Amino acid sequence: MKRREFLATTTALGALTLVTPGRLLAETPVAGGTLVWGHSETTQNLDMHQTGTASTSRVLQNIHNALVTVNSDMEVVPQLAESYEVSDDGLEYTFRLRAGVMFHDGSTLTSEDVKYSFERCADPETGATNFEVFNDVAGIETPDELTVIVRMTRPNAPFLARLAENGAGVVMPAGSGDIQGTTPVGAGPFRFIRREFGNEVVLERFDDYWDGPAHLERIIAREITEPTVRLTGLRTGELHMINDIPAERVAEVEGDASLQVLTWFPLNFDFLNFNHDLELFQDARVRRAFDLMIDKEMLLQGALWGQGETTASASFPNDAARNTDITQRGQDIAAARALLSEAGHPPGSLNVVFKVTTNYPYHVESAQIIAEWAREAGVNMTIEQLTWADWLSQVWVDRDFQMTMMNFFTIWEPDRLYFSLWHSTGGFNYRNINVPEIDALAEEARGTIDADARNALYRRIQDMVSEEALDVILWFRNGSIGARSEVAGLDTLVHPNGSNLNFHKVWLRS
Amino acid sequence: MRGFLSPKAVIGLTLVGGVVLVALLAPLFIAPERATQMVMTARLQPPSLAYPLGTDQLGRDLLARVLLGAQTSLMIAVSAVGISIALGLPLGIVSGYFGGRIDNALMRVIDALLAFPALLLALTISAVLGPNLQNTIIAIGVAFTPFLARIVRGEALRVVQMPYVEAARASGTRDGAMIVRHILPNIMPALIVQTTISLAFAVLAEAALSFLGLGTQPPMASWGLMIQASRQFLDIAPWTALVPGAALAITILGLNLLGDVLRDALDPRSR
Amino acid sequence: MAYLLTRLVSVAITLALISVITFAITNVLPGDVAMMIMGTQSNPEALEGLRRSLGLNDPLVVQYGRWVGGILTGDWGTSLLFREPIGPLIAQKAVASGLIVVLAMSIALALAIPLGVWAARHRDRWQDTSASSAALLGLSMPDFFIGIMLILLFAASLGWLPSSGFVDPAQDFIAAVRHALLPALALGLGLMAHLTRMTRSAMIGILNQDFIRVARAKGLPERTVVWGYGLRNAIGPVMTVAGLQVGYLFGSIIVIESLFSYTGMGWLTYQALLNRDIPLIQASIFVIAAVVMLANLVVDILYRVVDPRIRLG
Repeated sequence: MKRREFLATTTALGALTLVTPGRLLAETPVAGGTLVWGHSETTQNLDMHQTGTASTSRVLQNIHNALVTVNSDMEVVPQLAESYEVSDDGLEYTFRLRAGVMFHDGSTLTSEDVKYSFERCADPETGATNFEVFNDVAGIETPDELTVIVRMTRPNAPFLARLAENGAGVVMPAGSGDIQGTTPVGAGPFRFIRREFGNEVVLERFDDYWDGPAHLERIIAREITEPTVRLTGLRTGELHMINDIPAERVAEVEGDASLQVLTWFPLNFDFLNFNHDLELFQDARVRRAFDLMIDKEMLLQGALWGQGETTASASFPNDAARNTDITQRGQDIAAARALLSEAGHPPGSLNVVFKVTTNYPYHVESAQIIAEWAREAGVNMTIEQLTWADWLSQVWVDRDFQMTMMNFFTIWEPDRLYFSLWHSTGGFNYRNINVPEIDALAEEARGTIDADARNALYRRIQDMVSEEALDVILWFRNGSIGARSEVAGLDTLVHPNGSNLNFHKVWLRS
Repeated sequence: MRGFLSPKAVIGLTLVGGVVLVALLAPLFIAPERATQMVMTARLQPPSLAYPLGTDQLGRDLLARVLLGAQTSLMIAVSAVGISIALGLPLGIVSGYFGGRIDNALMRVIDALLAFPALLLALTISAVLGPNLQNTIIAIGVAFTPFLARIVRGEALRVVQMPYVEAARASGTRDGAMIVRHILPNIMPALIVQTTISLAFAVLAEAALSFLGLGTQPPMASWGLMIQASRQFLDIAPWTALVPGAALAITILGLNLLGDVLRDALDPRSR
Repeated sequence: MAYLLTRLVSVAITLALISVITFAITNVLPGDVAMMIMGTQSNPEALEGLRRSLGLNDPLVVQYGRWVGGILTGDWGTSLLFREPIGPLIAQKAVASGLIVVLAMSIALALAIPLGVWAARHRDRWQDTSASSAALLGLSMPDFFIGIMLILLFAASLGWLPSSGFVDPAQDFIAAVRHALLPALALGLGLMAHLTRMTRSAMIGILNQDFIRVARAKGLPERTVVWGYGLRNAIGPVMTVAGLQVGYLFGSIIVIESLFSYTGMGWLTYQALLNRDIPLIQASIFVIAAVVMLANLVVDILYRVVDPRIRLG
């Protein structure tokens, strides 16, 4: 209902909406000052290779640089590499490194550091979340101090794009692996000073940063998980900025002349899942029936107070592989009832358990709303709210669930998205989805170097996911930043992946 | 029985009676759907004619939820205390009656268990078992058991030393008969007092567990869950916290008053 | 001396039992920390690699032996989730909790004793009724609900005190106390209610005794009789109860610290439980139980020192 209104105030990443009351543009940045950031989550293991949480990556983004990165159009661009070349057969990648790049420990970046970092990530003993990126790597050579050659056993179309995420492409000083978990060392614009666990992380400007020193002297990321507490801190001036303004309060904060609000999407996408190992959900009619029960726009209003944008595809809005022809199913309870009856589940006969994690309170709200619609459709739905650890163990690893809901941050690279989530052997396929046609499409795409041909394959997968209701893709959630008026350079803050924050160009007006 | 006519007794009985009545009758008069029905156009509404106690973040009627929540609360508390009696009574009697090595060993373990705060124990057990209604009951019940066993053991020890029990033992009465005929009836008063107080604690523990997300599950109408959900809206919709909080306070106050009155009336040592 | 010795032996046995119970409970917890570190970015092979690198595959008996050995030698292990040594971590969080527990205890005692004495002196009159009713009401409010009302009043409406967070007293003592005040009040009010009732009943018992009648008959001022003679004798039982309440306080801090995002022991334990950080769960539960037990021991010994009537056994 409020979709039009909403589109007027929020745009897709690349054109973030910044509500900055009464400020002139084109100011000259001032160096210095300590920025206190109210961070929405607790950082965990600080090892860039091992950590898989969006919250920790958000902070580490400022400590590390990768070989390559992406621009706002999701194109791969050099970062610590000055340039790179890919051989025509896609089997050889040659990276030319920037000269004189300094690490925080005082050492200078060489090809050995790159080799060390990649081999550490690829080593199963490290337990790196992105280790499969290097599965097709035959060997890494360092002909001289500033040249790295990566040889592949077979073409791997997404390789370069995958390196653009810090988790895989990060370059750490050779031999620093053991200390990364507690005292990360990188080549990013800020160096790690200390973390008081559960309380705050302190970063300081790294004066020798290769791309010019940052403006801020210091960043204190205070970890405040209670949303209202964060907001109060921003209001009272204890905090300069906060991420994740409570959804129901965004409108109110936007109305506050002393504060700036930055909103964008996608921060992440959310979807509803069925366990495809169960006979019940092998029947596409049942899956479609559940899809039909849900009024996506209403659910977005109910659970997120409208802070997001419904979507039928999980691809980023600016991704060339996004299928723009598919649409979500509208709510039709009667049709859902009919489909269920047809599938042999007349009203009142079906009991379903919906597992959600309290890690995302809006999932718990969503589940309660969906359970109401399910009741109207004659399904008795019970909710089990699980701690994050329990959700991971029961749903993610043991796959012991009927229905659940999850979100994914930062997965903009289509191979990572479609292969991991919908291929029968995908690392993120906790729903036991097994559609041979999708498997074939995803494998073909991985080996297809031509971008257009590759994107067409991904669009076919999106079509099938939607048509068969393999999962119910719900929405892109908005990211939001609230800041006091003295914080400048907010337009440079959000990384193209929608989740990480870059403080390099942020500064404080005195 | 002067205690039963005091204002304390009257208030206590009225409160507990009222809550029990609500717990029994509310489900008959309010359809269970009322607790989960959502009106998206009436979210976080302050108390009004249409919603006498206001609505929560999903537009649910707080009056219906708080009334239906009485049943959840009492059901869990009574079952949990039932479990702790079922476990703690035999343990305490065996320990207190037989004494000696059994008593020594049992009480060592009980003492060690008592060092764990009951809430921490319940929380850990609930985390182990996985949070749902049944496991919440088990967690609270087990967590209270050491405490109950300790009290029962103390009482049993006191009763065993009484002259008539020693006389009965000297005349060759068997252990089973002794326990049933002499020990049990004599520890009853203390047990009743303790049960009342435990009920108050159990209501509190359920609320705390649910508040931490390790108790009952949404969308069930539970006071602890309601307070948990209200945290995010405290400054813009304080009634979402005050309504379930008041319900909890009334119930626990009633049980505490009743406990006091019963203690004055039944417990020989407090006279 | 002999008493102390037996007491210490019994403490050692209880501590050993506590360690076994702690280890037993925590090892039936489902889930593991490798999953937590990787979150939704994990896949089975990467997970197995991380498990090996964290050393999660050893047999249980070996793990228990290593754990107890570590505790005895001061090596408390490393938090799996946060990759930090547990000893310093707990020490740091214990300071935070110590601050609110001490504050809560002081607030409770400072208010409860005068109130209880006052109620006892005016037994069954309006003073007693109102004090006793207030105490009963305080006892009936869940502490997290008291906490919520304190946030509403002092943080949201009046804006006098911060509603959350912890500040290290070594860095900024005033700020530390300001942050600790609301959680301490939330903990202390319930305790105060309990102690008021205890003080009242102890005082009533004592004021009825002969030596008080004698003192009064001698014409000593009522103030001296009540506060001097009366309270001196009542303070023992009251302190005992206060000591016994340490256990209750340590149960409550889990809820209260989570409510106030106050990063102390309760918060740490709750995080460890939620995150299946088993070494951290073991250490924090063990520490809490040990502290509770030692608090009881100290109270017990003090009681014997203060009250000469109690002798061995």
